[in-house]
Amino acid sequence: MSSVKKVWVFAEKQDALAQLCAGAAQLGQEVSAVVLGTKDEAEKMIKLSADKVYWLGNPKPEKMLEDYVETIADLLKKERPHLLLIQPSKRGMLIAGRLAAGLGTSVLVDASELISADESIHSTHMVYGGAAFRKEKALTETTIATVGAGVYTALPEDPARQGEVIEVAFVEPAIKIKRTGKKVKESVSVNLNLAKRIVSVGRGFKNQADIKMAEELAGLMEAEVGCSRPVAEGLNWLPIERYVGISGAIVKPELYLAVGISGQVQHMVGISQSRVIVAINKDKQAPIFKQADYGIVGDLNKVLPLLIEKFKARKQ
Amino acid sequence: MKVIVCYKIVPEEQDIVVLKDRNLSFDRAEWKIGEFDLNAIEAGMQIAGAAGGNVTALSIGGKKLESSKLKKAVLSRGPQDLYLVIDEQIGEADSFLTALALKGAIDKMGSYDVVLCGEGSSDLYAKQVGSQLGQLLNVATINAVSKITPDGDQLIVERTLENEVEILEITLPAVISVTTDINEPRIPGMKEIMAAGKKPVTQWSIADIGLQKSAKSTEIISTLAPEQADRKQIILEGESEEVVEKLFENICSELH
Repeated sequence: MSSVKKVWVFAEKQDALAQLCAGAAQLGQEVSAVVLGTKDEAEKMIKLSADKVYWLGNPKPEKMLEDYVETIADLLKKERPHLLLIQPSKRGMLIAGRLAAGLGTSVLVDASELISADESIHSTHMVYGGAAFRKEKALTETTIATVGAGVYTALPEDPARQGEVIEVAFVEPAIKIKRTGKKVKESVSVNLNLAKRIVSVGRGFKNQADIKMAEELAGLMEAEVGCSRPVAEGLNWLPIERYVGISGAIVKPELYLAVGISGQVQHMVGISQSRVIVAINKDKQAPIFKQADYGIVGDLNKVLPLLIEKFKARKQ
Repeated sequence: MKVIVCYKIVPEEQDIVVLKDRNLSFDRAEWKIGEFDLNAIEAGMQIAGAAGGNVTALSIGGKKLESSKLKKAVLSRGPQDLYLVIDEQIGEADSFLTALALKGAIDKMGSYDVVLCGEGSSDLYAKQVGSQLGQLLNVATINAVSKITPDGDQLIVERTLENEVEILEITLPAVISVTTDINEPRIPGMKEIMAAGKKPVTQWSIADIGLQKSAKSTEIISTLAPEQADRKQIILEGESEEVVEKLFENICSELH
């Protein structure tokens, strides 16, 4: 039996909360979900392996999720769980940090693995742009960890499960941030994380117009177009949703074709799980070649047109 | 408007060497300002440019911070002065201890309107210090800010979340963490680098800021490079028809 008793979960989205619930059930003896949502959503968490639900009530349009930090902080101090798992969305990261600081502790961030060992929680997460994985352990009574999508798989609903839903009174925050408006994010709908093939462009492209070649090749290969950070941030040649790397998309396609990308560590961490890596770069010393399966040391402006011709011929 | 910009110095990623036992060596690493902190420094300069006021830079860390090159690197980007808290043990501080040290320094520095942090440090990328610092200072705290517009005694900011951008009014003082695409950080010229050498630098120890060597809340067990995937390493040279044909065949052999 695990030495960790009370594990709590909190997430912005219900599907993430269900995943964290499953993880909490593996790690601890008693699972509690902190839920801002409808009563039905709160009760659903019992079926998804929570023993208790701390129900913050129905969402209110005038309140931000962050307005509940004081309410959750009070609960933590009163109930003293051993572990709180939080979804690392932008809001989740802010809330995790504020709760941790309130308790006088750090956050074990972006845990790819959590285990309970010698009376404490051990986490594994990526550091130095993916150059290494760090194992850390928490030394405090309550540990806060953020766990991303895919680490745990949600359990199927069990309608027979019984649990308790506890309604929690709202604690008014001392400092309020006023939301005056919302804009739909200008974004293209790309999901590089799920792409099977990716043709990715980097600074080796000297003109924005040349990216057309990569787009044409991607079309022929039935691939998505990705890019390195400077192409999306700085040059703004491609939307940010196409950026692959540590602070962008972490991809795992069957085939990743990097064109004009030197392969800095921050980029490589985003692509290291690709099954096959192909590189085209004119610099023989580019680090990308050290981690490529296939490659050409050559000028992309000469190689790409030839490659496009060959894929066109193959289609016919 | 009195702006404080926080930054961390980090080892140059390309200089990190993976040893045989998969530990990392930083012995040959150059140190630099964290890449994402450059956005915080630039955002500070733009706020002061728009609203008037001044920008002070602040960092905590080990002895590497004393390098005059690194001091010039931050001051040449615009801040009028620099505060450093230097202690060898604090170089490896976790996010809470880092936030606590920054709070200690800021309390001692006096009044401020805005503290800016980057999205995360480019070495550990925990994306935590700004949120924790704001809580410790007990002021308005927000992250993921992609646009800042000064408006009288408050700031109007845009915050870029996963699926939407929200517009917020932030009362001051506040701690704000900015995104990596909020601006294009300036590249200082020779004139700015020369002038940076003359700007005042205040150096404190952790005792000066009243920080007890408090117990760490986390302990590092190990930091090891991942086992590398075996790659085929079939690299050709040149742009001839034959070379491209070979690459084409190689790619096709992997497409199912």
